[in-house]
Formats: sequence, C-alpha cells, structure tokens
Amino acid sequence: MNNIFALLPLLIIVFSSLLILILEVFLKKENKNYLGFLSLFFLIICAITCVKFWDKGFSYFNGSLLLDKLSLFFFFIFAIAISFVVLLCMKYISLQDVNHGELYSLLLLALSGMMIMVSSSDLLVIFLGLEVLSISSYALAGLKRKDKKSSEAAIKYFLLGSFASAFFVYGLALLYGVSRSTNISSIINTFKSSSDLSLMAPIGLGLVIIGFGFKIAVVPFHMWTPDVYEGAPTPITAFFSVGPKAVGFVVLLRIFSPYWKAALESQTIFLLIWIISALTMLVGNLIALRQTNLKRILAYSSIAHAGYIMVAILSKDNSSLLFYLTAYLFMNIGAFAAVIALSKKGTEYLELEDYAGVGFKYPWIGATFSIFLFSLAGFPPTAGFLAKFYVFSAAVKEGLVLLVIIGVLASLISVFYYLRIIVYMYMKEPSREITINLENPALFLVLFLCLYGVLQLGIFPGNVLLVIREAVTSLVPLF
Amino acid sequence: MDFPILSLITFFPLAGAIFLIFIHRDRKNLLRSLAFGVTLINFIFSLILYFHFNPQASEIQLVEKGAWIGYGLKYHIGIDGLSLFLVLLTTFLMPIAILSSWSSIQNKVKEYFIFMLILETGIIGVFVSFNLFLFYVFWEAMLIPMYFLIGTWGGRRRIYATLKFVLFTMFGSLLMLVAIFVLYSLSNNSFNLFDLYKLSIPPNIQIWLFLAFAISFAIKVPLFPFHTWLPDAHVEAPTAVSVILAAVLLKMGAYGFLRFALPLFPDAVKRFLPLLFVLCLISIIYGGLMALIQKDIKSLVAYSSVSHMGLIMLAIFSLNTEAVEGAIYQMLSHGLSTGALFLIVGILYERAHTRLIKDFGGVSSQMPVFSAFFLICMLSSVGLPGLTGFIGEILCIFGIFKTNKLLAILGISTVVLAAAYLLWAFQRIMQGPIKNEKILSFKDVNKREIAYLVPIIIMMFWMGIYPTPFLKRMDNYVNELLNKVNKEERILIRTEKDNKLLFKIENLPNKEKNKEKEEETR
Repeated sequence: MNNIFALLPLLIIVFSSLLILILEVFLKKENKNYLGFLSLFFLIICAITCVKFWDKGFSYFNGSLLLDKLSLFFFFIFAIAISFVVLLCMKYISLQDVNHGELYSLLLLALSGMMIMVSSSDLLVIFLGLEVLSISSYALAGLKRKDKKSSEAAIKYFLLGSFASAFFVYGLALLYGVSRSTNISSIINTFKSSSDLSLMAPIGLGLVIIGFGFKIAVVPFHMWTPDVYEGAPTPITAFFSVGPKAVGFVVLLRIFSPYWKAALESQTIFLLIWIISALTMLVGNLIALRQTNLKRILAYSSIAHAGYIMVAILSKDNSSLLFYLTAYLFMNIGAFAAVIALSKKGTEYLELEDYAGVGFKYPWIGATFSIFLFSLAGFPPTAGFLAKFYVFSAAVKEGLVLLVIIGVLASLISVFYYLRIIVYMYMKEPSREITINLENPALFLVLFLCLYGVLQLGIFPGNVLLVIREAVTSLVPLF
Repeated sequence: MDFPILSLITFFPLAGAIFLIFIHRDRKNLLRSLAFGVTLINFIFSLILYFHFNPQASEIQLVEKGAWIGYGLKYHIGIDGLSLFLVLLTTFLMPIAILSSWSSIQNKVKEYFIFMLILETGIIGVFVSFNLFLFYVFWEAMLIPMYFLIGTWGGRRRIYATLKFVLFTMFGSLLMLVAIFVLYSLSNNSFNLFDLYKLSIPPNIQIWLFLAFAISFAIKVPLFPFHTWLPDAHVEAPTAVSVILAAVLLKMGAYGFLRFALPLFPDAVKRFLPLLFVLCLISIIYGGLMALIQKDIKSLVAYSSVSHMGLIMLAIFSLNTEAVEGAIYQMLSHGLSTGALFLIVGILYERAHTRLIKDFGGVSSQMPVFSAFFLICMLSSVGLPGLTGFIGEILCIFGIFKTNKLLAILGISTVVLAAAYLLWAFQRIMQGPIKNEKILSFKDVNKREIAYLVPIIIMMFWMGIYPTPFLKRMDNYVNELLNKVNKEERILIRTEKDNKLLFKIENLPNKEKNKEKEEETR
C-alpha cells in the first residue's frame, strides 16, 4: 500500500539527527547529556511507530521503500541497538574526551542509513543507504580526535570502505546491464528466465557480494575489522560489531532468498559462500586465540560470528538467521558494555592482564560479563547456544554436515579464548590494581537489559521466535 | 502424583543458589549452613522419589511434559530404574560434599556454594531429561559451574586442568550435537527420546551417529585413550568437587551409553563391540597399572576410577541382564566408595597439606578412627564380600563371563589390581613407623567428618548385604534396554522371566562361591 506514512520512522530519525546537530551548537558543554536523552526519546518513538505499523504493509516510492515485516523487525532491533549505544556513550564521552554532540547525531544518521538499506529491495536505493551509513561510520570511528589509533581507524575504514562501495557499484552496473533493472527480484528473475546468461551476471553478483562481504567482515574481506574496532571509541565499536553487520546480512538475505529458489545451477556461488563461511569461522577464531587486547578479541570473535551466520544463509533458513542476529545483538553489546564498565577518567582497561581478579572485585560486572562470554561461546542456557543450535540444525537438515562439523570445531576453538577472559577474571591474582568509575547508571541499565535479553532468548524465546517467523514470511519471493 | 516433584528436585538447588546471591559474603557460616540445608532438603525430597517409584511399571514414571520452546524442543522429564538411582546418588552425595568443604574452603565461600548448587541442578537435569535437547542443555550447562569450581578453588595447575576438562568435554559434546541435529532431521523435528527409539536408522548412518555419541560419552567416562583429562582434573580439584566428579560426573558417560548410544543405534553397537571391548580392557589394565605407580594419593584414586569405570563399561557392552544390572549397581557402589576415598584423601590433605604417599606413614597410630573408615572404604573399593563393591563387581563379571569368557578373565584384573594398589597404598600411608614429625600432631576425625563419612559407610554395608531393593527397581529398565538393543535377548528373557527374581535373591550365595572358585583356579 503506497502511503506517505511509510516514511514516518525514517523521517523521525533524520529529523532528530538534524535537530541534535542544531541544538549542539546552542547547548552549554555541561548540558550535553540532554542530547543523549533527546535521541533516546526519538528512538523510542521510532520503535513504537514500528510496532504500530507491524501489520500495515506500507510502502512508498513505488515500493522501493517497503515497510514489510522484515524491515520493521529490523527497524525495531536497530532502534534498540542504537539506544543501547547511546546509553553507553553518555558517561563514556565525558570520561574519554569525545564530548561531542555530533556523536549522537551521527549515530542517528547511521541508523537512518541502515533503515533505508533494510527496507529496500532496490539495489540502487540500498547503495544510497549504504553510503549514508558508511560515511557516518567513518566519522564515528575517528571521533577520538586526539587519539592516533582512532584516526588510524577512521582512515583505514574510509579507504577500504570506499573500495568496497566501488566494488558494489561496479557489480550493480553489471547487473543492470544484464537485467535492465536495479530491483533485486527482477534481477533474479532474469537469472532464472534467460537460458544463456552472459558472464556479466555472475561477475556482477559476485562483486555485490564482495561489497557486502566487506561490511559484514567475512574472510578474506575482514582485514580492516581488528584495527577499526580497536581504534574506534568503544561504544562505537559495539555499534560497528552489530549494526552494519546485521544490515549486510539482511541485504544478503533479500538477495539470496529468491536466488536460491530461482537458480538451480547456483553451484559456483553456493560453493563460494561455503568456502567463505568455513574460512571465516576458522580464521576468525584461530587469530583470536593470540590476541591480548579485549577489543581485538571481540573483533575477531565478531568475524567468526559472521561465519556462523553465513551458515544460516547457506542453509536457507531465514528465521534462524534473524534469531542469530537478535541474540548476537544482546550478547555482543552486553560484552562491550562490560568492557566499557572497566574504565575510569582518561583510561580504559583493555588488556587481558587488567582483568585479573575483576570477577571478585566487581562481582556484578564479572558475573554479567561471564554470562555474555558464555553466550558468545555457545553454552546453554543462553541465547548464543540456542542461536547456534538453530543455525546448525537447519544446516544439517540441508545436508551441510561437513560445514557444521567445521562450525562446531571452530566454536570449540572459540571456547578457549572466551574462557581465557574468564580465567583472568576469576582465577588469576591481579598483578596491578585497577580502579574504575562505578557511577554509571546508564551503563548498568544496558548491562541489565542485555543480560535479560540473553537469558530470555536462551530460556524462553517463544514469543520472539513467533515474531521472527512472521517477519520472514515477507521474504517469500514474488514469483 | 500431580505435584511436580521431579521439577522441584531439579530446580530447588538452583533456587537456593539464587537465594545465596543475596547473602552478604562475610557471613560465611550462614552461607555454608544454607547450602547444606538446601542440599539436605533436596535429598529428603528425592527420597520421595524412591518410595513413590513403582518397580513393576516398565515405562518411565513421574513424567512431566511441557511445551517450552516448541518445534520439538520440549520440557520432558521423568525417571526410570536407571535415573532414579543416579538422582539419589547425586542428592545423597551433595550434602556430604558440602559438609566436606566446610573448613577447606575459606576464600570466596559465597561463589563456591553458589556454583555447587548450580552444579547439582545441572547433574540432576541430565539424569531426568527424556528430551534430547533438554538433555543436551543440562549436559553442557553443567560444565560452567564445574569449570569455575576447578579453576578457582583448585590446586596449583588448576587453570590448565579446568581448561583441559572443558575443552575435552566440549569437543565430544559438540560432535554429539551434530549427531543430534542429524537425528532431529531424521525424526521429523522431534527430540522426544521415545520417538527416536522407534526410528529405524540406516546402518551406514548409524555408524557415524554412534561414533559421535560414543566419543562424547567415552570422554566423560573416561575410556582409554580419552582419559587424560581425568587425573589432571582430579588432582587439581578441591575435595568436594573431586567427590562429585568421580562419583557422579563419570557416571554420566556410562548413563549416556545406556540411555542414548546403545538403544538408539543397536546395529552400530554390534559392529563396534570388539573395539569397545578392547578399549575397556585397556582402560582396566592401564588404569590399574598407572594407579600402582602414582606418588600422589589423589591421582592414585583417579586412575583407580579409570580402571573401575573400564569394568563398568565392559559390563554394559556385554549386553545381558546380569552384566547391565551389575554395571548400574557398580556405578552406584563406585560412586560411594570412590567418593569416600576422595573424602579420606581430603581429610588427610587438610592435616598434612600434602598428598604425596612418601610423606605419610604410620598415620593409624595417631588417627585410629580415621583408619577404620579408610579401611572400610578401601575394602569396599577392592570388592570385599559384605561391602557394596562386591555385589557390583560379581554381577558385572558374571555377565561378562556369559558373553565372553576371555573378557571376564581379563576383566577380573580390575579386582586384582585394585587390591594391589589400594592395599599397598594403605600400608604405606597408615601403617609402619611414623616417618614425619608432622604426623604426630594429626588430630583424629572430628564430629563433622564422622557425620559425613558414616552415612556412606552405612550405605556401603546396606548395599553390600541386601541389594534386592535396588536390583528390583532396575529390572524393568534393564529388560527394556536389552529389548531395544538385542532382539535375540528378548526371547531369552521371556523364557527366563518367571524364575528371574528368585534367581537373583537365592542364587547370590552360589555366585559368591563361584567367584571364589574362579579366583582359586586363577
């Protein structure tokens, strides 16, 4: 149904972003926290709108902006993720000297880019969203202006990101040349209907996949991840590890869910993704074994998780993919929140050594962090276990037994380094004393909510699963 | 019974653990008493199970079903003749384990007891689950408290030991997880164990599935060559954790074979039997020989577990009524006697702060009461008639003998080796001249220590003298199992059924005689 209201969630976010940008100029420095509350307010309104629109099926711009259940689900998820990040930022930015209102504005702008990307099935519009997201991400990565690592992160992200965008556009051009359309379903239709497809089509599709492979950081397009994650301000890293990744997967989902059905001779692409997925799981986890910096460990772990989610794409089970992304959001933001909790003015404790004895000194932070790590490692009864369980069981059903064996062995490797953090927290004597700033209610709220999410999704995921199953129904291909 | 007693027993310790979170960490005695209270109450609850259990019924009892997540992932618990006793063993040993850590755990008391209680929930959950998914959840979740318990309160090499334990177990269980997925897709999205039993799986798939399950359980048992984690974990773990590890956790491996690997994949079992027999025999002999040369008492007991569990597994794989019943019985008695031996070692360690055998000597002159306890536990482990170990071992060896005479003859070496290493260790520690001045200052067991040793001793005598109430409750389960595994066996049991109970009670003395004869001929 073509309806101007379809623009509402997007407009709310863009408006709030601009409003914050203006207010930033007029507010005094000590009042800047209000900007955080303001963005939270708008995010909540956006989330409520999404819930209200659930059954409406609005669309605009001739369907190139489509508020189907899938996109609304992700609007909602992203709104939650960004709210968490905003909450994490509130104290962090004054402690770590990134006190700029632009941060909130850029976060919201990035959110609008993500919303455009998930709600469109037109590759050109997706590219538009991608650029909005990417450019605000580059700026976000470099927000710690006095920190060299942060600037390095921004430059690296920018250079590699631009290359990825270029790949994407080039691929899109080739696809357009083959099918005379930028709409995903008509492109796939061309794949299906024409008997002798020119070489342009698979190359174009391959380039598009490479472009997104960069966004979701799968091997071999993962090189930027550790450096960017390490350099960027920690709440922003939390955002990077969840937001752009989820978006990339949603777009891949939109491309592949009709594609698997259309192309019977998809063996090459299938094999390619199979290899990428196996490599991502193994490489991500193996390199993480050698890291001692918490942010880098979590960076490599996020690469590995992208590999598991790729398994979900291969197994053609969309609901398990959505569930994994949802679970991953809670556990990963939770883990980053715990890392942020261990900081004081001007200092962040990021080396494994710093974590020695933390578990008993700060029992609540230690316990929640441990639960997030157990969840990331895939122990029951947490969300991470159930997510892996769904993905792998769907994959076995599709006959991908070898890939699943690689996957479970990779997650065995991951158990080692996740547990190593816990070893430091609970089983080593501290070599140096650390003191942290505990007056951070917003952060503890995030910790609590993520903990709730991880346990709720791990023990009683019933309702969320229902919503997810409904959301993926909108993915049924048009033909 | 409508009241969800089984859920209560499973989750009561967890509730206790959550309650403990809110107690201040400095009130150590309150924390200890509460943990003890919770486990004791749970034991009393579990006695209800025992009295409510109907030995005549062949299906599982006290079933509780719920929807939970849906799509085959259901809440489905119950007990049968196998899980009843393993649950009882767990709830019985848990208060004892808590008592034994009363004074030996002084740091981080709160966390310790929280993890102990969570562990109890995990263990009981494993034994009562009849949904494969639920089983797996408990099976894996149980690793977390275990990981902390060994890693935080363990000895010098605790981190190495705990990581090795977790990674070994995870390796097995993740392979099992893949096999579970395959079963799930074969069974049209059902995890219900009884649906899975009915599946007829093609033999070539069965082989792979069985391998995945068997490796996972063999690591847990542990069978040679997967046993290397066990001595490390045992030596480093605190006493109470060693007790639970040896007495209950190792049984999970055997339980897994009985509940899943054997009845689900009967064809594959037949094919792998020779290999499994060989592995069991190697475990028996290798474990026994290793125990002989250990310098540390705790690792001696740990290797003795490898040897004893080898015999239990050998009996299970013999697949006849006596052997399987004997194996289950031996699981219980091994739980009691090895648990007790670890407690004994813990008592010694608390006094001497060393576990090396060469540091001891002549302890019995200083600790006469303790000496008596040690002797009984040791003899029970060796298998002296009148004590629990005897019944289990004799049934096991009888069953094995029925299947294969050579295996039985080799299997007996468990008993011979056990006698050798345990008696020799007893002699070096307790008797002879006092080697070490520190021993002169040893105090005999105190009231608390007596309080937790006496129940075990009583059970040892009871199970050694009057085993019928236990065996009677296992009969139906064992028959069901053998029906599933062995179709020829089914006919055999039907013809024997009428005189079966008589056979068990009245022929027992004969069996003892036979055993003696057997040993004489050797």
